[in-house]
Amino acid sequence: MNDPLLAFESVRREFVTRRGRIHAVDDISLAIEQGEILCLVGESGSGKTTMARMAAGLLRPTSGVVRYAGRDLSAMTKAETKTYRRAVQIVHQDPYASLNPVHTIGETLRAPLLHHHLVRGRRQADDRAAELLSQVELTPPENFLTKHPHQLSGGQRQRVSIARALALNPRIIIADEAVSMVDVSIRVSLLNTMLRLRDELGVTFLFITHDLAVVKYFAWEGNVGVMYVGNLVEYGRTPQVIGTPLHPYTRALIAAIPEADPDMTQAKEKLQLRSIEIPNLLALPTGCVFHPRCPLFVPGLCDSVAPVFMDVGEGRDVACHVVARERGRIAMDDAAGCAGERATA
Amino acid sequence: MLRDRVTSPTKTSPAGERLEEGIVLAVQDLWVEYRTRAGMMQAVRGVTFDVRAGESIALIGESGSGKSTLGLALLGLLARTARVAQGAARFRTKDGDTLNLLALHNEQMRRFRWQECAMVFQSALNALNPVLRVADHFQDTARAHGQREDARTRARAAELLRMVQLDPDRVLPAFPHELSGGMRQRVSIALGLLLEPQLLILDEPTTALDILTQRMIIDVIRALRQRLQFTMLFISHDLSLAAELADRVATMYAGQIVEIGPVREVFYAPKHPYTVGLLDAVPPIAGDEFTPLTSIPGSPPNLLDIPPGCPFHPRCRYATEICARQAPPLERVAEDHYTACFHHDQVDRNRPFAGGTQ
Repeated sequence: MNDPLLAFESVRREFVTRRGRIHAVDDISLAIEQGEILCLVGESGSGKTTMARMAAGLLRPTSGVVRYAGRDLSAMTKAETKTYRRAVQIVHQDPYASLNPVHTIGETLRAPLLHHHLVRGRRQADDRAAELLSQVELTPPENFLTKHPHQLSGGQRQRVSIARALALNPRIIIADEAVSMVDVSIRVSLLNTMLRLRDELGVTFLFITHDLAVVKYFAWEGNVGVMYVGNLVEYGRTPQVIGTPLHPYTRALIAAIPEADPDMTQAKEKLQLRSIEIPNLLALPTGCVFHPRCPLFVPGLCDSVAPVFMDVGEGRDVACHVVARERGRIAMDDAAGCAGERATA
Repeated sequence: MLRDRVTSPTKTSPAGERLEEGIVLAVQDLWVEYRTRAGMMQAVRGVTFDVRAGESIALIGESGSGKSTLGLALLGLLARTARVAQGAARFRTKDGDTLNLLALHNEQMRRFRWQECAMVFQSALNALNPVLRVADHFQDTARAHGQREDARTRARAAELLRMVQLDPDRVLPAFPHELSGGMRQRVSIALGLLLEPQLLILDEPTTALDILTQRMIIDVIRALRQRLQFTMLFISHDLSLAAELADRVATMYAGQIVEIGPVREVFYAPKHPYTVGLLDAVPPIAGDEFTPLTSIPGSPPNLLDIPPGCPFHPRCRYATEICARQAPPLERVAEDHYTACFHHDQVDRNRPFAGGTQ
């Protein structure tokens, strides 16, 4: 069997700060197959950007392994690293900060082509740059090649960032909140462009966002992982996770999202959380990290034993004691007994 | 320079006259421009609207639509490089006087802010003084407006903080940086309401906050309005926030109001192609089907080089030759519903709403 294109295996990442140790990512295993879309969604502090940076090789996991096409990133030879760096490209959130303001769009796009010897000479570089701009629908390309970033709108700059990522014929694009700063009226066209690129070029996407409506649109044919303070709490096919969320955190998120429809949004049933405060990352709650806010909280269980991230049927994975019990995956008494043992031990 | 006058969607009398009861704020033909190295940039271009007592009105627009400049102009908080070129903004005070906001001198404006009208900004960290404890923000605001009884201020602050679901014992002695973004935003809202202003202006009150925190702020604002009955003007790029909180919605584009009407009218029977485009570009969370969405073609205009005629015409699928030549006036299309489009009778939003339920 083929290896997945990108895989996280029991990955943890800690950061040491002056005030203590932060577990940004706590034991996450995930895989993306070639040509797939995986969205990681979560609020601030969920660890989603840390995951993106580990996938891009910009951060090493504290423990666990990140693999690209089966190869451990930290054990790659120099040649392998070079291939991997070309194969994995990032599109950042802020199109105002990610393009060099003194370079023209043409220069920005030619540089990686020439550096990696993908083209011969300036003429070929120009042709390829024009082709890249057409691929991201900046047409006619001649109008853009000689422009500087400040002459473009935010949406156009983000298209240039995507074109630059495409320059090296990547196999994976990691998009970290790539549409969050773009105006509403053009956000969807950027998503449509990326979806078209995936269809036409077979590019795999690791898409990081805080916006579940964007996940639903972009990853309708893909998978979504929901993260909460460093933990993966739910994973599955996007239509299932968004249509019938299982984890109480996912349920709360979806119930909280306002819709652009007055009657519907005001009638929407909200899920009342027990607490609205996000836990302190330096002192995470015991047991399930979501228990202080969770409406399904079972005292004695959720606050003492961390739930196992497990398959609960129908291709759904969830880390929740109560959901596991409801879905008949685990007997509540066993879990409670286990908690009791641990407490007395 | 040729400025196309916009027919007034209001029943108010011309500038200078007293405002009738029931109108808190009347903005008339307001123009605001910024001096930039590249020339004069017109951010607000002939905006006219009323804010009615007790209502919640949303100004919706994208970056560069002029919505935030408009809010700042009303409170005399424009940057030095900006100036009001033309227009009037009149305010009916609690005791029935009419103030011309654009002609207030410093002392009058100082009193007007907080007592008559308070503003809550997007970034609550910048709005609060980092070296002052939360309690001191409340005390300073009260003292600056002549309230000397600290104990009473403290009691009122505690009451307001409880209304925004914060624990006064914990929050009052804290410095702003010790609070989360959502807590700071709620402190700003409570502080804004301290002197019982008639009008609360909120600029992007939920932007940059996490989803669950956004929900909290929305619910808090709704509960506060029910209890305290203040009038609210909020500015946002987020249509769903308007769907949650507005009684009336005004869509802004290139410094102008292009559509204004009751919230259900604007969402269910929009008559400006830009409003339709915005609504069609928002991915819904509800529904079991994938609906392909379309964006509005092109980009928002460069304010230094606004297209002639209707500023939306280069992006508009209904545009004809007249749209490039002449600016459409705001016209009445239904009860209390106005739009600035020559072709509004052709505009029909046929895509069903989120999840096809509407």
